[in-house]
Parts: sequence; C-alpha cells; structure tokens
Amino acid sequence: MYGKGLKPLSIATVATLAAAFSLVFFYAPLDADQGFVQKIFYVHVPLAIVALLGFVGGGVAAILHLRSGDRRWDARSYVAIHMSVIFGVAVLITGAIWAKASWGHWWVWDEPTLVSFLIVFLLYATYYPFRYAIEDPERQARYASVFAIAAGAFVPLNFMAVRLSESLVHPRVFATAEGGLPGSMMLTFLVALAGMALLWVTLVKLELTAKSASGQLSRLRRALDAPAESTRPPSRVAPEVS
Amino acid sequence: MPALPLDEAGKYVAGAYVVFMALILIYVAIMAVKLQRIERELRELASFVEAAAGDSGAQSRHHPARPDAGARAQGSQSSSVRPSGSGGRADDV
Amino acid sequence: MSAFAAILAKDLRSELRTLRSLAAMVLFSVTTFVIFRFGLDRTSLDGSLAAGVLWVTLLFAAILGINRLFVAEREEGGFDAIRLAPIDRTALFAAKAAALFIYLAALEAVAVPVFALFFLDSAAPLAPLVAVLLLADLGLAATGALISSMAVNSRARDLLVPLVLLPLVVPLMIAATGASEPLLELGGPAYDRFGTWLAVLGLYDLVFLLVGYAVFDFLLED
Repeated sequence: MYGKGLKPLSIATVATLAAAFSLVFFYAPLDADQGFVQKIFYVHVPLAIVALLGFVGGGVAAILHLRSGDRRWDARSYVAIHMSVIFGVAVLITGAIWAKASWGHWWVWDEPTLVSFLIVFLLYATYYPFRYAIEDPERQARYASVFAIAAGAFVPLNFMAVRLSESLVHPRVFATAEGGLPGSMMLTFLVALAGMALLWVTLVKLELTAKSASGQLSRLRRALDAPAESTRPPSRVAPEVS
Repeated sequence: MPALPLDEAGKYVAGAYVVFMALILIYVAIMAVKLQRIERELRELASFVEAAAGDSGAQSRHHPARPDAGARAQGSQSSSVRPSGSGGRADDV
Repeated sequence: MSAFAAILAKDLRSELRTLRSLAAMVLFSVTTFVIFRFGLDRTSLDGSLAAGVLWVTLLFAAILGINRLFVAEREEGGFDAIRLAPIDRTALFAAKAAALFIYLAALEAVAVPVFALFFLDSAAPLAPLVAVLLLADLGLAATGALISSMAVNSRARDLLVPLVLLPLVVPLMIAATGASEPLLELGGPAYDRFGTWLAVLGLYDLVFLLVGYAVFDFLLED
C-alpha cells in the first residue's frame, strides 16, 4: 500500500517548507557579497542536493530490482528518477536566474556544480527514450535498472571531472557554498534542505500511489472481464504498478 | 561582484521562488487530472458491475451460484459513497 | 580455449575479413578532419582547439563502431548461444569490450598520425598522447559495450547509442581533453595536471568495467 503515511508526510512537508521560507526572509542575514540575490541559494541548492540523492536512490532501487526480480522496485526506481528529473528542471531554472542576477548572463560555464548538474540532467533525460525504445516490458524494466545503476555510478565521477576542469584562477560565481556559512545561514539552509527532501519523498509517494491505484483498476478490470478503457492506451514507458 | 539594488534583486529572488511554486502546482494539477481519470474509470467499472450483477441477480433465482460470482463479490468492494445496494449484492451470491 | 578468447578471436577474425567497421571509422575520422579544417578556417591547431577537434572526431568515429558491435550477435542468434552455453556470460561483455578496445586502438593508430600531419607542427606530443588514448579507449570500450548490448535489442538502435552514450562519456572526454590540451601547446608538450587527468581516466575505466561486469548477466536473462 503506497498511500499509507501520505497525510502525515504532506503535513510535515508543508510545515517544514513554510518554516524554511520564513527563516529565509525573516531570519537569515543578508549576504555581504551578493546581497538579497543570495536568497535564491536556499531554494536552488537544496533542490540540487535532493535531486542528486534521488538519482542515486533510483540507482539503489534498480539494484534491488535486479537482485529480487520484484517489479515494484522498478516502479520505485522509475518514479525516483522521474521526480529527480523534474526537480532537476527546477534546479536549472533557478540556477539560471541566480546566474543572471549574479553575473549578468542566463548561463555561466564557470560554476562547476551547475555544469555538472546539466550533464547529469542530460543523461537522465535519455532515460525516457531509452525505456520507450525497448518494447518487451520485462526486458524494459531490466535494462532500465541497468541504466539507472550505470547513471548512478556516473554522478560522482562527473562531478569530480567537471570540478577538476575548472580553471584554478577563475573565481567561483556562487561563492556562498565555499568557506563556512555563518550559523544562521546554515540553520536556514538545513531547514530548507529538510523541506525539499520531504517534498521529494511526498511527491514520490503521491505518484506511486496514483500509479498503484491505476494498476489496481486495471487488475480489477481484467478480473471482471470489463471492456477496456476507451480513451487512453497504457503507457509504454512508465512501469505498471499493481 | 557588486550586489544588485534591492528592488532589482527582489525581482530575481521572487522569480526563483515563483518558478519553484509553479512547478509544484503544475505537478499537483497533473496529479489532479490523473485522479479524475481514476475516478471516471472506477465509475465506469462500478456501473458495469451493477449492470452485470443486475442480470445475474435475475438469473440466480433459477441457477446455482455462477463461477465468476467470486470476482463480482470482490469487485463490489466500494467506497462509502456508493448506494448500499451494491454492498448487499455480495451477500446474494 | 576460454569463452572470452573464443568470442574475441571470432570477432577479430570477422572484422579482419570484412574490415567493415574499421574502414568506416578511419575514413570518417579523416574526412571529419578535413571538414574541421574548413569549418574552423585553420590549417594548424594547438592547445584546446587541437584537443577538441581530435577528441570529438575520435568519439564520433567510435560511435560508428559501437553501433555495430553486437549486430552479428543479434542477427545470427549469438545471444541465445551464450545463454545456452555453460559459460560465464560476462565473457561476452569482456570479449566485446576487448574487441572494441582493439578497434579503437587500430583507429587511432591511423587517425592520430593523420591528425598530426594535417594540423600539428611536430610529432613530439604523440608519445605521451598514447597513454591518454589507451586509457580513454578502455573507458569507451567498457561503456560502449554496455550501452550497445542494450541498444541492439531495441527499436531505433542506432539512435539510442549516441543518445545515451554521449552524456555518459562526458567525464571521460573532460579528462582526455584536459590531459591532451597542454600536450598540444604550441611551445611543446606541457604536463599540467597530467597525472591527475590520467587518474580520473583510470577511475572512470575502473568504475564502468566493474559496472559492466556486475550487470551484464542481467542483460542476457530471458
């Protein structure tokens, strides 16, 4: 049962995010270098960290799928990656806004974390056409798990390589992450991070519950020999959950 | 780099937070559509089951319990919003 | 003869006989160099530009070979044969990766001297470049064999390989060009962070060889 615990989880998410945003605007001090613009950091970086952890989580779920053969792990892996890709879109857009405000351009190659993230995002974006290209559902699930594992191994390698490639002379744009954060900023950041993490978990659970409900409906339909639904064919990409 | 004046910086910060909220709300909207579809499917299934059980209800007076009765009994598990007739049918068969 | 050696020998023999992949890869590389000469409007290259042209060309040529790596297995039922045979299935992965490595090395044995002929002033960078090439080839071989084995069983297989492989080899390319760029400087080869880049290449190779080895069994299940 996927829906269990969704209510307390959503409440916790709303509470934490509300607390986080309040801290951002009423408690956290103004940054000496970047001024008010630095506040974007509290949304952009937690989203990025949670998205990356989500990708790795998708890889772990994939390992469990291959080892157990239980298709539910494939569904979890798919939804984890799916949610992290959506969070990834948010990371890239907020990153671009931050770059424009800090540096005057919508995209900068100087910020290695953002660049690494773009590459990771591009890789995981190929997850969908990859799944779509494999027709047999059982094989699709297996291959998708292999992809998720290889991609999960790729994430740290990629970050390392991009970070090494940056010129040692050129200043970092988002210097907030470097050097210690003052305590009040760190507190705000941690609360925001917790909020984003809760948001990710809640949305993943929500999606799994919806998928499960659809899956149960299909199962019911089959058991009753009811006529097939006229409007929408089953998705060729997303795994069926039942 | 020099910090932007507050009114200009405010727009960018607001933009970032708005994008974040918008993405969440778009996702909620997509989930709402999915929920609608599930509700519609459930409704269709329920009327199908009612119709089918209506026929067999007429026949069961003359015939013993039919083999797919078990499936129908499973199928008539319904939410509390449904009329009580459907709950009663499970007992008939 | 071990399964690994048998498969490898079969692949190399068939490639030598027909030379289909290798010839295409070499011709593609040389023609691409010519296109770059005109596209960039340069007759000599150095530093980052040289590294970029060389590695992008090699990468795209590699994709030609990677696309074809498992075609014979698919068409002639090689996958079923491996499944039925009482051997370690990862022998297929190892053999294919090794074959790909050899093709890439053979490609570079021709394409890199041609590149030097077209664009470089001296052949001095070529010796240290060999180390970079070999390590990069290993990484390309591992990921190429892995992706190719999945793509071959799908629709639009020749689209899938470039699509998925390219982002996956970005760290490899970063390291390869990072190491090559100082080697190709105008004043003669420099070795800025050469050891670091080689270490990154080595790490990449290790990770993907391990991943390929660990998951390949699951790819052949049916």
